[in-house]
Amino acid sequence: MDLNYSPEDREYRATTRRWLEANVPKQDLKTLDERKAWHRRLYEAGYVGMLWPKEYGGWSATPMQQAIVQDEMARVSAPPAINGLGIGFIGPTIIVHGTEAQKKRYLKKMLTAEEIWCQLYSEPNAGSDLASLKTRAEDQGDHFVVNGQKIWTSSGPIADWGILLARTDPKVAKHRGISCVLLNMRQPGVEVRPLKQITGSSLFSEVFMTNARAEKSDLIGNTNEGWAIAQTTLGFERGGNALGRVTRYVTAFNQLVKATKELKRGGRPLIEDPAVRARMGRIYADLEVQRYAALRVLSALQKGDTPGAASSITKLSYTEFEKRYYELALEILGPFGQLMVAREEFEEVDTSSGEPGTFATAFLWSRAGTIYSGSSEIQKNIIGERVLGLPKEVRADRLKA
Amino acid sequence: MDFSFSSDQQLLKNSARAFLDEHCKPATVRLLWDDPRGESESMWKEMAQLGWLGLSLPESYGGSGLGMVETSILLEELGRAAYPGPYFPTVLAAAAVEAAGNDTQKKRWLSAIATGEARATVALLDNDLDWEPASVTTRAEKSSKGWALSGTKRFVPWAHVANVLLIPARAPEGVSLFLVDPSAAGLKLSPVQGMDLATRWVHLEMDKVPVASDAVLGAPGQAASLLGDLLRRGAVGAAAEMLGAARRCLDMAVGYAKVREQFGQPIGSFQAIRHKCSEMLLEVENSHSAVYYAAWALDAKAEDAELAASVAKAYVADAARKVCGEAIQVHGGIGFTWEYDLHIYFKRAKALESMYGDVDYHREQIVRRAAR
Repeated sequence: MDLNYSPEDREYRATTRRWLEANVPKQDLKTLDERKAWHRRLYEAGYVGMLWPKEYGGWSATPMQQAIVQDEMARVSAPPAINGLGIGFIGPTIIVHGTEAQKKRYLKKMLTAEEIWCQLYSEPNAGSDLASLKTRAEDQGDHFVVNGQKIWTSSGPIADWGILLARTDPKVAKHRGISCVLLNMRQPGVEVRPLKQITGSSLFSEVFMTNARAEKSDLIGNTNEGWAIAQTTLGFERGGNALGRVTRYVTAFNQLVKATKELKRGGRPLIEDPAVRARMGRIYADLEVQRYAALRVLSALQKGDTPGAASSITKLSYTEFEKRYYELALEILGPFGQLMVAREEFEEVDTSSGEPGTFATAFLWSRAGTIYSGSSEIQKNIIGERVLGLPKEVRADRLKA
Repeated sequence: MDFSFSSDQQLLKNSARAFLDEHCKPATVRLLWDDPRGESESMWKEMAQLGWLGLSLPESYGGSGLGMVETSILLEELGRAAYPGPYFPTVLAAAAVEAAGNDTQKKRWLSAIATGEARATVALLDNDLDWEPASVTTRAEKSSKGWALSGTKRFVPWAHVANVLLIPARAPEGVSLFLVDPSAAGLKLSPVQGMDLATRWVHLEMDKVPVASDAVLGAPGQAASLLGDLLRRGAVGAAAEMLGAARRCLDMAVGYAKVREQFGQPIGSFQAIRHKCSEMLLEVENSHSAVYYAAWALDAKAEDAELAASVAKAYVADAARKVCGEAIQVHGGIGFTWEYDLHIYFKRAKALESMYGDVDYHREQIVRRAAR
């Protein structure tokens, strides 16, 4: 056990910090083109696609280096790179399961954000039970005709391409009749409708596909093997944001402390109120434990261990923590905690959602974390079955199959 | 950056598990409940032979020169076995002697502790149960031969079997730490029993207890920071033991959920039970991160070592309470019976929760460090 950063990692951090200090844009990035330009600079500096192999345009960096970059970016609230789903999940899926032609065609433009990607998985009636999805892809020889609806699609309105799970065989058991194919989003048969979230912004969308066309050459793996491919995708890119996330929590904590020195109860600063202190002590312990756990995950990744189902513990831990954290922040801040627009008294809080905002925004966003990428309930099922080895539950769909 | 145990550390953990599985079974713990001393002499001797008592002492005193990480590995296993005995108080007292003692004091006590000849303990709580090291109310007055100690020490672990007591007292120079002979005149020891029958505490009443002038650890009046260090070391050690007890309870709950059937199915197949077990695992894994981060930080003298010790104690106390309690819930009625072993570990975690600074104390320490 040695929790010191290696001299190489310290040096890497110093270099990264210098680069960010010299390059982070001074003004907010407003347009997609501005964000793409910033993404491009991050990529060229070696800070995007860090874990991708060099032969596909990546940097073959270590998980620790990637975590350090994210941490340093969080430290200065640098605008994040874009195309996160593409670079984090879809690209690696193509690298593992794709054909040479697919790799040549798609990977580089994904890395440089020349083409933006989205994930077309969830449907109105297929959330936690994703395998029950109903979108159909009919085999027409050289292409598929796609009909159906997807939902919760991040980056939908700006996406050029999507990775689609669709039913190609309705007659077999539900997870055996699904295929994975790349879909051009810029075609008449694909309609994207932004979906307004409880934060008031629209980072998700609904996607309607009416006789949309997907090329056979864009099939990932074989027909009806899409479910297994989607499962392997879930294992990529865990831990990259582990340190940056905690740094954002600490930044928010410091703002909360500042507020508790200015706000008063009974004529005295809130920070002197023992009830407030006890709750802040409790949440800070919780916060620090998220940091220790992140270091543990990174240490395992550095050694080449694949966390597998254990990464469900990490996801469950920090998303549930974020709910407790911002709930407490809002209770302490009183009506101030309701403000959705930053004021002078309170700086912006980096919610890591890509959406700038206040504690109120972060509080609202924290409700999403325990739902997306497998809800807390699904994570607990995975932990129970695959980590603890508890017996599978008796489910109606399993009885039928 | 390496958060995993080295092969030596893993070996220590495995051998401790194997030894305790054989020598400290639940039945052994139950037998010692009724024993006036409360510990097994033969187990103590074997622990000394295994090198556990000198684990973190310098090699020149017969120790192995290892650190808090290794001590925590052992304590986790001891907690998992609900080991009854003065291991940790002795190790903690030895750490104090090593840190602040002079050569004579070290020669007198450290080798004796490493070989298992001597047991020791530290009396950190006075009459009003204030964990703040500066709050000591026991008095040390100058006498013709040295000092005379008067006051009350409460919940002193395993003082009835100790060969030396480390007693903080307020001297004219300030808070000082004294090496006190348990058989000294004016010192009255009375046993105190809590719900964990395998944890032994002693109530000390001191009325002008004579202490020789050379029995002060370090300079008189300079013990405050040493006591702070001991409290934090104690906090991390207690957290490690609670982690062990919690892991034992989790293992028992999961094992039971796999075999206990209701409604024609193992209860572990029900989400109500499975989700509970998953939450328990989450708490245990986070506790592992907290304990070993804090232990490493103490060894490495990291900047945040003091914060990490308080985080570990505050977090793991909550986690262990939840995990051990939920283990009873998963078991249902059988978990509430005296004959079933679960309560042995449940009570061990509970006994440690209030020691070496309770949750409220450590949360306050955390805010003092974090909210500046």
